Amino acid sequence: MTDAAAPAREAGAAPTRPARARRDAFVTLDRGTATCAAAVVARVDRRWRLLAATAVPAAGVPASDALFEILLDRVRTADPALAAGLGLDEPGTIPPTIEAVGSAMAHAVVLAATEVARQRLEADATAAGWRTTGASAERLDPLEITRLATRPDVAALVVGTGDPPAADERELVDELVALAASVAERRPGMPVILVGAAAASASAFPLGTDVVAVPRPHGEPAVDLRALLAARRAGPADARQALIAVTATLAEVLDLRIELLEVGMSGALRARAEPGPEPGAPARIAAVEAPSAVLGLVDDDAALDRVEAWATFGLDRARLRDRLAELRLAPWADLGGDGALLRAAALRASLERLVAGTAELDGPPPDLVVLAGGAWSSIPAPAALLVLADAVRRPGIVQVALDSARLLAPLGTIEDAAERARVVGELLADALVPLGTLAIARGVRAGRQAGQLRLTVGDAPVDLQLAGGRLALVDLPPGQAGAVELGFRTPVDLGVRGKRFALRATGGLAGLVVDLRDVPLRLPERADARRDVLGSWEAALWPDRDR
Amino acid sequence: MSGPPLVSARPLFVVEPRVRIALLPGDRIVATSGASVVAGDVLAERVRDARLVETGDGHPATSHPGSWIPAEPGRRGTVPAGELLFEHGGRRRIATGPHPDLVAAPAAGRVVAIHPGVELVLGLDGTGIRGAELLGDPGHGRLALLPGDGDGRIPLEVAHAGAIVVFPGRADAEALTRARAMGIAGAVVPALAERDRRDVVASEARQRAGLHRLAPFPVLILDGYMRRSLAGPMREILAVLAGSEVGLAGGPPMLLTALSLHDLPSPDPDRVRVRGGPEVGREGRFTGLAGPRRLPGGIVVETARVHLDDGREAVVAVGDLEWFT
Repeated sequence: MTDAAAPAREAGAAPTRPARARRDAFVTLDRGTATCAAAVVARVDRRWRLLAATAVPAAGVPASDALFEILLDRVRTADPALAAGLGLDEPGTIPPTIEAVGSAMAHAVVLAATEVARQRLEADATAAGWRTTGASAERLDPLEITRLATRPDVAALVVGTGDPPAADERELVDELVALAASVAERRPGMPVILVGAAAASASAFPLGTDVVAVPRPHGEPAVDLRALLAARRAGPADARQALIAVTATLAEVLDLRIELLEVGMSGALRARAEPGPEPGAPARIAAVEAPSAVLGLVDDDAALDRVEAWATFGLDRARLRDRLAELRLAPWADLGGDGALLRAAALRASLERLVAGTAELDGPPPDLVVLAGGAWSSIPAPAALLVLADAVRRPGIVQVALDSARLLAPLGTIEDAAERARVVGELLADALVPLGTLAIARGVRAGRQAGQLRLTVGDAPVDLQLAGGRLALVDLPPGQAGAVELGFRTPVDLGVRGKRFALRATGGLAGLVVDLRDVPLRLPERADARRDVLGSWEAALWPDRDR
Repeated sequence: MSGPPLVSARPLFVVEPRVRIALLPGDRIVATSGASVVAGDVLAERVRDARLVETGDGHPATSHPGSWIPAEPGRRGTVPAGELLFEHGGRRRIATGPHPDLVAAPAAGRVVAIHPGVELVLGLDGTGIRGAELLGDPGHGRLALLPGDGDGRIPLEVAHAGAIVVFPGRADAEALTRARAMGIAGAVVPALAERDRRDVVASEARQRAGLHRLAPFPVLILDGYMRRSLAGPMREILAVLAGSEVGLAGGPPMLLTALSLHDLPSPDPDRVRVRGGPEVGREGRFTGLAGPRRLPGGIVVETARVHLDDGREAVVAVGDLEWFT
């Protein structure tokens, strides 16, 4: 850890005494829109170790030093000698801070001449993390467009056409620009992003308007529009941009194909990275945001239907809507009891929406799925693996890990890629809590004896009969790994099609989970029967959900 | 600002608040920037069912979007007065329509900024007390505190006409609709379910669809969606304000009073309210952090000790607590 790498952005008020910048300890802060996660990291036995971590409501942490003090005090109490050795024995000494900041939900209005152009532009803006309202000159009248674009929650105006404009756009472009300029005059200070042929019309806007011109001659992006829009939305040390960076780092460090799934209160992110083609080459990374997949957002009846479909506890529709609205108002409250079940249902719905909204990233299963973001911490770790299995019905075998201390986003703000790789590499065992290995098979007929499983750890094999339509759970604790042989009576799809499979399973809090349920999942139509089925699966991996 | 560590603070007061009043394209602005206003002064005339009129007859002096274009004779009859939306190719698009509804100042102050078709900003005297959401347009009236925590419909009476009534306990769309029908000027409720909110908004829209001019009926929601009673500090503030003239505004949602901050009771920073979990709705005194504990369901969270008003000691998740400031 070098001083250059920290802090990314100083948080809150200065400590009462000047902090000593130590090279052998640092603190991290993931300041989300709902909760703040803080951690103390220090060098122990020549490598970085996580010493303490917690998460509290963001509204309860006006200055992060108070939160760090609580954690440092715990370190001092647990191991005074270690704290003294690290120079953390005196209260008021805060080591350097690495902070990632979650951006609030941002809303952009996308104006285009035609519906086709509007859909393309909206897809780019959405993938960059903007919540969008789209309007085209083809479909909406100028009065309605002005109403939409001058609402107080609109933070940016994106105006786009083809370059050169298509035949059906030509006669509408000038009028569209005149309308956008009138909106800019009504909302001084609102940035306007002109894309395609509209980029040549920057002079039509009032003086002082923050106009960004993005010409796209012959449809080719002169600059990466998504990157530009993402940069416009994100503030400094943006947590989602940092997660994208750290996903690439994980792929390099582990030499594995990584998929990161993040769900929060202000956005959702899916990022996929795979190692470079040769050792030392940078990882290939692709990431798409899906703002509509934020936790608990019920913007229409269909969104409520999606959460209701995953609910494992009885609640009438009106009350469920109110509970979700309260969840959006105070996401840190009511975490116990059925509050956790509510979050699990909302998380499944969000994850489904995230995966559906980022279909361009679909592909063969990755080696490791990393679950990140505050929403995953609101349910027990083994239940997180079930939520993933429920919502992402993708045949294949993956390892699953959880960023439980929310270290990844702060680490992703370390600008020097080599430094970031070194810190992530050393902290990996503490930063990622292994949940286990998940194998999802497609083509297994429900209710039948499907085959058998043999897990060999050391000299002690475990045999299990596999039944279609069920989850097979094998206890495999974190730190252990074993050889798995799967034999099926008929060919199944486990990423590849076959009857016999041999794989290596790594352990975790949920162990080895072989999912033989339908792909896609088929659930009873009747709400109570559906709840019973979902509840029985949930109880298997979340035995203390009712206690 | 000091209070219980890690507990969410809920700021109640805004001194000399700035209030944003939303406008739509076509609304006719009556107020002028910098002018002083008192509660009830008309600021704008609200357009109802705005429509777009296109005209080629230019008025050379006014071409800025948002300018008010007076009615003038055109080739095909009189072009109605309206707000210039934009001009392109020598043609003007004007937002126009009938203006039967008035937007009035909710409290005394001055007009700070006018953005036609977008908003009108007022700098108000006195103090604002924050709420969570306002349904309807701003309004004002004498504050009347209904008794009890039970069904709000029972104590409503004609004597409350013109007043802004506080429902300390249960409120629903039926009670609010009945209050409006009795000539009550507005309501303050602790919480309102989503279904009731939608019913109130739909009822307001139906009323507005009539031809006659209608007084606004603002509903200020102090908390969220689940039923709960008024928080202790809020109850004390409202008790002090009872009988005085107050306003309700929506941007941000707040109750407005001419009283200064010093005339209002300050919340005790050690007092906390439980907003979730098994002790929801209870209040007490924060006595210290209790460290990480496991909640029913298996989640481990930071907790605090609270001496509840009923005499019990409870350990509550810090996320379930709030303190008022």
